[in-house]
Amino acid sequence: MSAPSDSRVARIVDHLKREWQLYAMLLPTIIWLIVFLYKPMYGLQIAFKDYSIFRGVAGSPWIGFEHFDSLFNNDQFLRALRNTIIMSVYGLLFGFPVPILLALMFNEVLNQTFKKSAQTIVYLPHFISSVIIAGIVITSFSPSAGIVNTILGWFGIDSIYFLTKPEWFRPIFIGTGIWQEAGFQSIVYLAAIAGVSPTLYESAVVDGASRWQMMWKITIPSIMATVIIMLIIRIGNILEISFEMIILLYQPATYETADVVNTFIYRQGLQGGQYDFAAAAGLFNAIVAFVLVITANTISKRYSRTSLW
Amino acid sequence: MSGVSLQQLVKSYGAVQVVHGIDLDVQEKEFVVLVGPSGCGKSTTLRMIAGLEEISGGELTIDGRRVNRVAPKDRDVAMVFQNYALYPHLNVADNIAFGLRIRKESKEVIASSVEEVGEILGLTPYLERRPADLSGGQRQRVAMGRAIVRRPKVFLFDEPLSNLDAKLRTQMRAEIKRLHKRLGVTSIYVTHDQVEAMTLADRIVVMHDGRIEQIGTPMELFLNPVNTFVAGFLGSPPMNMVKARVASGANGPVAEFNDYTLPLANIASLQNAVGTDVILGIRPEFVNVTRTPGNGAVPVDVDLIETLGSEALIHGTLLNEPFVIRTETVGQMDVLDGISGFTIDPDLIRVFDAETGLALPGQVTKQ
Amino acid sequence: MANMNLYSRGDKLFVIVNMILLGIFTISTLYPFIYIAAMSMSTGFEARAGNVVLTPVGFTLEAYKQVLSEAQFWISYKNTFIYTIFGTLTSLAFIIPGAYALSRPQLYGRRFWNLMVAFTMWFNAGLIPFFLNMRDLGLLDSYIGIIIGFAVNGFNIILLRNFFEAIPQSFEEAARMDGANEFQVLWKVYMPLSKPAIATVALFCIVSRWNGFFWAMVLLQDEDKIPLQVYLRHVIVELSDDEEFANSLLTSAYSFETVSAAIIVCSIIPILLIYPFLQKYFSKGILLGGVKE
Repeated sequence: MSAPSDSRVARIVDHLKREWQLYAMLLPTIIWLIVFLYKPMYGLQIAFKDYSIFRGVAGSPWIGFEHFDSLFNNDQFLRALRNTIIMSVYGLLFGFPVPILLALMFNEVLNQTFKKSAQTIVYLPHFISSVIIAGIVITSFSPSAGIVNTILGWFGIDSIYFLTKPEWFRPIFIGTGIWQEAGFQSIVYLAAIAGVSPTLYESAVVDGASRWQMMWKITIPSIMATVIIMLIIRIGNILEISFEMIILLYQPATYETADVVNTFIYRQGLQGGQYDFAAAAGLFNAIVAFVLVITANTISKRYSRTSLW
Repeated sequence: MSGVSLQQLVKSYGAVQVVHGIDLDVQEKEFVVLVGPSGCGKSTTLRMIAGLEEISGGELTIDGRRVNRVAPKDRDVAMVFQNYALYPHLNVADNIAFGLRIRKESKEVIASSVEEVGEILGLTPYLERRPADLSGGQRQRVAMGRAIVRRPKVFLFDEPLSNLDAKLRTQMRAEIKRLHKRLGVTSIYVTHDQVEAMTLADRIVVMHDGRIEQIGTPMELFLNPVNTFVAGFLGSPPMNMVKARVASGANGPVAEFNDYTLPLANIASLQNAVGTDVILGIRPEFVNVTRTPGNGAVPVDVDLIETLGSEALIHGTLLNEPFVIRTETVGQMDVLDGISGFTIDPDLIRVFDAETGLALPGQVTKQ
Repeated sequence: MANMNLYSRGDKLFVIVNMILLGIFTISTLYPFIYIAAMSMSTGFEARAGNVVLTPVGFTLEAYKQVLSEAQFWISYKNTFIYTIFGTLTSLAFIIPGAYALSRPQLYGRRFWNLMVAFTMWFNAGLIPFFLNMRDLGLLDSYIGIIIGFAVNGFNIILLRNFFEAIPQSFEEAARMDGANEFQVLWKVYMPLSKPAIATVALFCIVSRWNGFFWAMVLLQDEDKIPLQVYLRHVIVELSDDEEFANSLLTSAYSFETVSAAIIVCSIIPILLIYPFLQKYFSKGILLGGVKE
């Protein structure tokens, strides 16, 4: 009696008549996504082609997995891949605990003025451009003028040209990352801490718990779910290294420890013009990253569902 | 005439049908209340009338015009929402004027309409305030003001009082009723609260599982529910349901349960029902309590008496089922003290078929 | 709160140690900025000699004079303002209606459209195809390319969509019953109700526009079009390798280092000016974005 299937078209037409404005609102965004993000995905096929600018994406001949073959025989690419993973893992190892620690420390501050001003300061670097951060790093580590060498000088240590030393690149890069982002990343944990019911602390106070005990017995267990979700997400994003900063800080002298997949692609493709080869590297990167992110998302969704009591 | 007519109105989401073909004629100036438990399709029905839900099948006419595919704004209806949906960034006057502004009414018309509505609803002192600075009752009034300012053909109310506390609800209920008398606009009102339905409605539509169970005036539904669902839904405390079997007694049909018999109305349908299982619907208000067992009194194991002032609720069990009696207190406190059972006028017992839940035909309790 | 007298000695000690450690971290976050500011106001000679630590040594504003007299600095500054203002407006023009439409339950194919947005956050074609696409579209070396080409961002859409979804649907319904069309519903009801979320998104856009450098560097060759960050990179990063150049710049009044520092200060200032607004909104924004997906 209701809605025979032949009225389906009529119903859709009817719906569009009623709601066309919604689709008009959506259209620009969808077109934008297609033109600027989905069309390049179509362009990814050059990873399997002998791409020439004159023939264009569609017209260039297919060559199968040739670029991938050469990619995995390319020492520079393998080095870049290794560097990416090493720097990510180090970044995770040293960078992950800091925001948690910061959030716990902020939570223990009683003086609100101190807390507010400290937060204002530690969030700030997140909003500063990587070029400026790089400028600050370069200036600070400069062999003649830099404060780091000035301080080393006080202890009678000879000035070091840090940014040309491969062994110093990773500590500087990871340290800079922590300096720039740890404060900002602590917001997530502060929010989780803010969600803990105050009555838990009140009853602990009545039970005679010290602040140290409350931190261990109440605060940390309460934010554990957030910690684990953030950890999973971080692992999922392990290939997402801030290559902008690397481009700004590395030099041929430090490529051996500093070059990552995206900087490799940048040099080979955008600077060297080997578009198809670089696109193959990019596709490899994107697929691995996609799989990692989706896996992480799935795990964190499952985890966050079961962890909600 | 600004009636609303629903013919075989259907709503489905994909393959799931939630409203299964509703027929309802709302007369001009009538106040109709759709009532039922949550998920019964009453809100969906109202929203189809409003134009907020697309109609999957059937016909909807407002004022004689088919409006199935007419946009909400062109149906000439106004709606009061459960959460009022007052625009928090606008003050009371601007909230009320919003619809008129959208419709590009002149400044003078808007100003005078807002003023008039403000007076009708007693909002004049609050016109400059933001919704956040109003009490629950005032917000409710603003929501109504926003509806009446446009002078629509039909008012739709979607559980407008459910966010208020009990006292305010009673007060606003009366106010809505008064407003309806004053403005005389056709109104359709959705609620899950049977008390609201009873007090507000010219006619009540009881809905259940996407179907209409019964349509009628509040008293019709209260006294002559067509089935156990309606019987159980209306009335507070709800009607007691007692399993029994019809037998023939000396003076006509009787209901037998355990070792007891209760005389039933001596009408054809009950005479013919001898030997069948039935459910006796006994309103808590309709029984007479007694201290002395026997004499045709049905014994109840009383475990609690709640005195509410002028009346009392007596909670007990009958056949291992809860049984509630509502009775006057004045002049019979001594009876309550040692109550052991009740008697009831056979005409006040409602007999339902145990299998179908339908009232056996021919029973009419007079108002 | 915080009546210290209520605390035991151990607690007091804990609170104080914690505050000291946090103070150290905070100061070390702040220090590089102070250092750069001090550097920018020191004389070139002292800076070169590594004598700047905390305060300007041999106070001078020569470096600023030098920076501000450079025509390219002003061109880039102007360009950054153009990219920031028009880029942000363009972003909002795409994102607000798009996010609103995606938040409406009556939208057909809503799951599909939302997935289409979310997918771009998980997978992107990478640098090369994006660049080639921009080139094929004729958007190299153009203001339009920078402004339009980076207008939409999945995270911002989802953030705003979540906010719109959290607004009770009855606001839309009430407005529609009042006769408003969808554009009016968005403009007169949903946008005023979403000011904090829109401000958050706008601020994110402003910051990313102001700071954006990589694609500007790749897509823009014409020096008349490059934004401040690209100019900065040119001066600070590329020239820092050039010892000879750095030495040639050295006068007693300013040096390469003090000039770099002065440019850094000049380009941080606008961010510092909007930072109070940022701080007010970003934590809210992060939480909003974090609720779903």
